[in-house]
Amino acid sequence: MASDVVTPPPSKPSPETPSTTTATPTVDPPPSTTPVTITPRPPEPEADVIHIPSYSRWFSWNGIHECEARFVPEFFDGRSTSKNPRVYKYYRNAIIKRFRENPTRKITFTEVRKTIVGDVGSIRRVFDFLEAWGLINYTGGSTAKQPQLKWEDKETKAAAAAQGGDSTDVTVAKKRFCSGCKTPCSIACFASDKHDMTLCARCYVRGNYRVGLNSTDFKRVEISEEAKTDWTDKETLQLLEAIMHYGDDWKKVAEHVGGRSVKECVARFIKLPVGEQFDGPPESTELDIELGVKNEANPTKRARLSPLADASNPILAQAAFLSTLVGVDVAEVAARAAVTALSDLGDEKHQESSKAPPSITKLLESDNASNVNNLDSTEEALVEAKLQLEKEEDELEKAISGITAEANEIEDKIVHFEEFDLQMERKLQQLQQLQNLLYFDQLTLLFHKTAAPKVVENTGEAMKSE
Amino acid sequence: MKSHAAWGTSKNAVKFRIPTADNLVPIRLDIEIDGQRFRDAFIWNPSDPDSEIVVFAKRTVKDLKLPPAFITQIAQSIQTQLTEFRSYEGQDMYTGEKVVPIKLDLRVNHTLIKDHFLWDLNNFESDPEEFAKTFCKDMDIEDPEVGPAIAIAIREQLYE
Repeated sequence: MASDVVTPPPSKPSPETPSTTTATPTVDPPPSTTPVTITPRPPEPEADVIHIPSYSRWFSWNGIHECEARFVPEFFDGRSTSKNPRVYKYYRNAIIKRFRENPTRKITFTEVRKTIVGDVGSIRRVFDFLEAWGLINYTGGSTAKQPQLKWEDKETKAAAAAQGGDSTDVTVAKKRFCSGCKTPCSIACFASDKHDMTLCARCYVRGNYRVGLNSTDFKRVEISEEAKTDWTDKETLQLLEAIMHYGDDWKKVAEHVGGRSVKECVARFIKLPVGEQFDGPPESTELDIELGVKNEANPTKRARLSPLADASNPILAQAAFLSTLVGVDVAEVAARAAVTALSDLGDEKHQESSKAPPSITKLLESDNASNVNNLDSTEEALVEAKLQLEKEEDELEKAISGITAEANEIEDKIVHFEEFDLQMERKLQQLQQLQNLLYFDQLTLLFHKTAAPKVVENTGEAMKSE
Repeated sequence: MKSHAAWGTSKNAVKFRIPTADNLVPIRLDIEIDGQRFRDAFIWNPSDPDSEIVVFAKRTVKDLKLPPAFITQIAQSIQTQLTEFRSYEGQDMYTGEKVVPIKLDLRVNHTLIKDHFLWDLNNFESDPEEFAKTFCKDMDIEDPEVGPAIAIAIREQLYE
């Protein structure tokens, strides 16, 4: 039978953060100084060696580990007589055995559940657990089980505790494709050599990768346009000219620049530093003027870009991108947390609240050293961003007060209308009464008319008779 | 959902449930869409949340590479059978002296199972799963799909 490349006695992984409640594992890889990754080679069918990830080394055929009890608690809480650890072990071992009969092939849940005696719900949960921990279907491939992720709403990875990152260097390939969403990566991406995966920033932030991975497994790789093909000054000049002429029509701009796609133009434009800071070759003065003019002409454009779009610092660019993805509130909170953490590291300057850049830099696992360097520029950005936020708050307040005023007016009007309504009703009633009286009068008149001649007749007759 | 008494005596009325140690429902699927036929049978835990049904349906369709039209059909079928089961649940079930004969007559892949034995309905500790497992082990049955099929067959008859 196949023997495992499993390091002996199960070393307990560091304790989980108590916030995990669902059966989806947010994995803490066991703290290891050297990345003891059992690197996945393409498994050869004849070999007796099965690969499993290092964070699953606790597994043993005969025992049940505490994380199993945690992730599939239904078998261990004694609620159900049929769900006991023995049954769990039976399911688990059966599933793993079946997988290992043919380790090159990913085993599907349906195959497994057809062969195991038991109720399919529990079997599915055990199966998911095993797959998540790489004990089955672990080929170290880059195929992320996306449908599964979507169904079960696993969005936890971005907040996982930061542990020692990988020490492996990442080679920057020419073209990088995200293995999560299958789009080409541009601005920045995240690579994990451990699992041979590449993710674009979007997927990384959303946690849209295989469940067994941790955000710390990924190292950020900056791919700016400069890496692929550098923008020469001439091209930049063309770009700026085109923007001046065509404004928002990026298609024409791209045409004008020649050789650059729309996206590249836009990205480059965003990355262009503010006019004053643009130092360079002697053409810079012209460029300065152009930039100055352009900046005045398109103040709204700059304002629309976030104040952090100034990408002379690549980390800030990343911050801008991520902060747009994440949203103001989350960024605020994250920034606050990160700021306090930063201050703990011995930097007293940043006691103020809430900005995106420090938080994102923290998340990006930049060294403390580089942090110190960035702090000056982040200070400026801090102030800018603060102003922006205040402005937005003011606008919100104004809008709200406007709305309340209108609501009050509408209320008054309604009250008035109600009064009118009442009056109209009263008048209607009065009119009806008058109508009734009139009718009555008419009746009596008729009555008298008909009665009177009779009376006359009667009296006439009476007189005659007399 | 579990009965109060594990043992129902001859006079006791007990809330309806499958008379086994665990209250699991046998589900049978037989769906045909566009000429494609899908037959399946398995055991379901009715205390699983209903969200589980759709998840299971999607998973099955994906694993077997069926056209997605099957997902709703499968989910509906499961749902109907579950509701049917639950509709019986409120009612009482008389468990008299009930030793019933169970007949197994099924074909799984290439294995033919024919058997006839008695089963005590009163004994709520009984476990068709265990029976199936022991059966397969004792008879040295290679095909692992036989076990679940036996368990399902037994449950269905007990359900009746």
